[in-house]
Amino acid sequence: MENTVAMHADLEPFAGLAAAGLDRADLLRVLRELPFGVAVVDRERRTLFLNAVLERLTGFTSAEVAGVPCRHVLRGSFCLHHCPRLDGSKAGACAEASCAAESREGTLINRHRRKVPVRLTSVPVLDQGGALLCTLDVIEDLSALKELEGRLTRTAGPGAIVGRCSAMEHLLRILPAVAQSDATVLLTGESGTGKDLLAEALHRASPRARESFVRVNATPMPEALLDVELFGQASAGEGGQSRPGKFQLAQNGTLYLSEIADMPLAQQGRLLRLLDEKAVVPAGGERPMRLNVRVVAATGRDPEALVAAGLLRQDLFHRLNAVRLHLPPMRERGEDVQFLLTHFLGIYATKFRKQVLGFSEEALSLLSGYDYPGNVRELRNMVEYAVMVCAGELVLPEHLPPQVRFPRVPEATGSPAMKPAAARKQPARKKA
Amino acid sequence: MSKKILVTLYRNEVAPRFDLASEVLLVTVDAEGRETKRQELVLAHSSADDLCDLILDREVSVVITGGMEEEHYHYLRWKRLVVLDSVAGLAEDALARYLAGRLESGDILFSLHKSVAVPVADGAVDTEGGGHA
Repeated sequence: MENTVAMHADLEPFAGLAAAGLDRADLLRVLRELPFGVAVVDRERRTLFLNAVLERLTGFTSAEVAGVPCRHVLRGSFCLHHCPRLDGSKAGACAEASCAAESREGTLINRHRRKVPVRLTSVPVLDQGGALLCTLDVIEDLSALKELEGRLTRTAGPGAIVGRCSAMEHLLRILPAVAQSDATVLLTGESGTGKDLLAEALHRASPRARESFVRVNATPMPEALLDVELFGQASAGEGGQSRPGKFQLAQNGTLYLSEIADMPLAQQGRLLRLLDEKAVVPAGGERPMRLNVRVVAATGRDPEALVAAGLLRQDLFHRLNAVRLHLPPMRERGEDVQFLLTHFLGIYATKFRKQVLGFSEEALSLLSGYDYPGNVRELRNMVEYAVMVCAGELVLPEHLPPQVRFPRVPEATGSPAMKPAAARKQPARKKA
Repeated sequence: MSKKILVTLYRNEVAPRFDLASEVLLVTVDAEGRETKRQELVLAHSSADDLCDLILDREVSVVITGGMEEEHYHYLRWKRLVVLDSVAGLAEDALARYLAGRLESGDILFSLHKSVAVPVADGAVDTEGGGHA
């Protein structure tokens, strides 16, 4: 069997492929040599073929499992309760919703009694009439990746979300569960609190992690252009070119709307319909295009106030607000300031190859007393600057940016909440 | 002397995975291998550890299941149970085959289809292979 590809003798699905102009032997030869596991599975979820990588991964040969239900071959954690194809395959013809390629992460237990972390991407193969012929189940061994992920999370980089205050701890605790769900998420928090990072973290921790993460900034532009930018353009007659919108580019992945209130109300209405119907009609088109996109939206303002001001549609707000994650501003993360200072100091000292070990007491006092109106982004940039200009082992006050060393005293009418703490503590200095 | 046989279930099949089984079939047979008692138990949740506890609590002698992790396999073997894992097929077929003394770990009991060999190298020809049920 060494130079052959064994497969199920009932070749009806492959006869369909031949009718579609594909040569069975060539196709299987290609599948056999692919560097990731591939199983060909018929409409009843019986195994037709395993390629070489999957034979090694599962411990079964293609010949000995020909015709066996794939759940007994792959033995994946997704096989019994979350099989992406079970319902559609029973119907024979492929319902549109069940015919998109789908990814699942989980584990399989192979013949050698080893549990292996894997990702399954199930790709339906349809005939010209749209009926399901068979499914290609692509299995990737994630063992190496999971090990690497474990190591990386222990050494978080500047783009990681970290925090020890109770609000951040709560957020980080629920983050994996929110990421694994497919719910629409609304992120709130002032500028610089890390909404973009959180959106990316949600995507990376979700089953859609291998698919696209598309960020949309609905900056003011003519509505027609924005419509094309978001929802794509259908080809205009023969020879006309169609153009995918951001939603099409995010197919199977995550679309992140960085400031939802910047989106005109008309587009908000279209977005709402898209979330409800999971389909969109591109500009100039007639046929709806089915989309499988998770939407994460964010706003730096109070969403209820935006609704009251008529800048955000109430029905869209309720739809987006399925899960709401709020990132607290830096001034409410008291105990996090020193932790973040040390965290970023370590990162930038390594990055700039400097022997900076910490902050002097005076520098720490100034940094701890500052209010960080620019939130974590401002704190991070300050540490980056300080490490860059520091020539010794300790960051001294003179290494800090001027706004920390010489804080401006706010106007008497200024909001007390926004008043820099350092300024409050050292009024005499400014007066002098 | 009677003995208890436990088969992990997924619908009417042997559960493909021990750790994900949410139902089990517990059959007691007498010294002649005649069935004297039969119970189907629905588990509160799927867990290999809890299932091992249940197996020991119920004084099961033989476990018939699908894919199983090495640590659970060796644990039950260490407890002197007969463990027939990696069995793929209908639960009743597996049980009957065990009682007939013909079930082994790794058995595939589904009726297999003939398989053919597709050449991957120039000059190789299609050959028939087969399953082993």
